Amino acid sequence: MHNTAAPVDPLFTWIESTAFSTWLREEPSIWAFPFVLILHTWGLAFLVGANVAIGVRILGAARGVPLGSMERYYRVMWLGFWVNAVSGVALLIAYPTKALTNPLFFVKLTLVAVGVLLASRIRAHIRELTSTDLRPMPGGVRMLAMASLLCWAASIAAGRYLAYTYSRLLVDFNA
Amino acid sequence: MHETLRSIETFLYHTGYGDFMRTSMWAWPVWESIHFLGMSMLIGTVGLFDLRLLGFARSVPIGAMHRLIPIGIGGFLMNLSTGLGFLMATPDQYLYNKAFMVKATLLVIAGCNVLFFYGRVFRRLELQGPHAPPPAGARIAGGISLTAWIGVMAAGRLLTFYRP
Repeated sequence: MHNTAAPVDPLFTWIESTAFSTWLREEPSIWAFPFVLILHTWGLAFLVGANVAIGVRILGAARGVPLGSMERYYRVMWLGFWVNAVSGVALLIAYPTKALTNPLFFVKLTLVAVGVLLASRIRAHIRELTSTDLRPMPGGVRMLAMASLLCWAASIAAGRYLAYTYSRLLVDFNA
Repeated sequence: MHETLRSIETFLYHTGYGDFMRTSMWAWPVWESIHFLGMSMLIGTVGLFDLRLLGFARSVPIGAMHRLIPIGIGGFLMNLSTGLGFLMATPDQYLYNKAFMVKATLLVIAGCNVLFFYGRVFRRLELQGPHAPPPAGARIAGGISLTAWIGVMAAGRLLTFYRP
């Protein structure tokens, strides 16, 4: 791959030379980089998992569970989200060039942002329900749930493909 | 022991599925994406059910929440079939890998826990009210399940760092 120096290269150079970035990349202990990846996986499972549970419930699975009672699962969802925001920033600090020179990274961030937006729109509808209300959700909310599930599936795929689509690994090291 | 592993490795390597995974240009990342989606389906249903058994979100009726489990089983089957693809493509990368042994052990523990839960606990759970505190056995099963799956995810993520 050819070296396409970007105007932001000095920024990448600086981030990659910080002690934290170097430590994440070079420390062989599993408590460094591998543990950040584990955190990112745990966060993903609970963030997307809670969205799956609420999404499929809106679409008609487990009709005996009142959606209002599931509002608690937004705590699980936000915990997963923040674990991934923090671990994601750590991964970005470790490999800023790799992520920020890959257009797919911005696609992934957009998908996550849309997913979070859809989750809060859905929550606004759930909040209007009592914790025993079993009436089905109107078509509009079902559309939100469907969009949310597709959006999270796409975020996962985009995230996974980041490992296959980058063109530069470090600022002075091409893939 | 080593001889047995060698013959298992040879057998897995020479399967059509393994061959497909090694030669396909697109299968690996697609399979990985499915693997992470199945994982989320499992944690979003089985994991949240475990949390309910442990006392989180008490206003969720236990029996009705259990109806989400088939989606978790679907996620598990997605992961079993994609996971077998990874294993058959490069069996040596897994069979001699410490992280894989930990992951396999945790999967066996999770499996035994499923048998324990449906054999010993589920009937009593069904007999009680949807909001009654789960019996000790149910809480233990929920705790083992959640811990095992959290460990499975960690060990799975560590596979690449323990390649032989």
